[in-house]
Amino acid sequence: MTNNMKRFWLILGVFAILSGYLVWKRTFRPSDTNVASKKTEAVVSANTLIKAYASNEDSTNMLYLNKIVEVTGKVDTILEKDGQISVYLKEKSDTEGVMCAFNKTEIDTSSVKVGQIVSVKGICTGYLMDVILTKCSVNL
Amino acid sequence: MKTKVLVSMLLIASLQLVSAQKYLSKNGHVWFYSHTPMENVEAHNNQVVSVIDASTGDIKFNLLQKAFEFKVALMQEHFNENYMESEKFPKASFSGKITNLSTINFKKAGVYSAEVTGELSMHGITKTITTKGTIEVKGTSIIAVSKFTIAPKDFGIVIPQLVENKIAKEMEVNVDITYNPM
Repeated sequence: MTNNMKRFWLILGVFAILSGYLVWKRTFRPSDTNVASKKTEAVVSANTLIKAYASNEDSTNMLYLNKIVEVTGKVDTILEKDGQISVYLKEKSDTEGVMCAFNKTEIDTSSVKVGQIVSVKGICTGYLMDVILTKCSVNL
Repeated sequence: MKTKVLVSMLLIASLQLVSAQKYLSKNGHVWFYSHTPMENVEAHNNQVVSVIDASTGDIKFNLLQKAFEFKVALMQEHFNENYMESEKFPKASFSGKITNLSTINFKKAGVYSAEVTGELSMHGITKTITTKGTIEVKGTSIIAVSKFTIAPKDFGIVIPQLVENKIAKEMEVNVDITYNPM
């Protein structure tokens, strides 16, 4: 085998391993536990967001669905279930609110108090009884 | 006499108020498993809204498909884009009844077995399902737990041949919800 052929096979081999590695990494990329490092696409108050959804779900979905939003509101309750923490942002005068889902490792519940105004960044996932944000992180 | 009638009417009305107890959860946990020799897939949704009416036995669930979280990001993408078509069908719902309501005492602490029948809607298709589970009465809250299987093909979900061996024909669905009085 000439030197040129050897070099060809070597480069091909390295290339194959590298592309294999990249495909493998992309295929099995773990889900993010939060979106704190991602670019914020919309900033809105909890009150405005819930009012918009309550009046027209479809048009509000166009604005916010699947977007990374930063929502500011008052903490109404903090719930915990099976390793997930939900912080519920709601004003006393409202009947609905924004339910923000946190991975347990992403929030220190002792640092968040009921009644406190917080800003939560997460993915707007849609509207059930409340607006739901997933993969949240909190700014105190 | 009149007052007696009035008092008894009031009593009946107040009794109905007490028995018309509804329970609500906004952070219910629903998750599913798909086991195959090739691959195990698991996804969790912790934002399930559910209501139980203790007087009629009505039980309702609502969830957003996009709130299911997978360990691998690409699986979540495939789930939403290829299988559930979450843009077109964003929600799944269940509306049914506890069929053995008389054996459950919502005022006495304990674990009761429950049978539920109702309509499950997702991916634009509605099917009747029947499942067993337990209802635990614990203080003022109640905890409902159930497990059942559903077949993706019953809901018009087409699994391409290429990944047929990686996705189970029957998914195991688990429900674990803590309710509080409304």
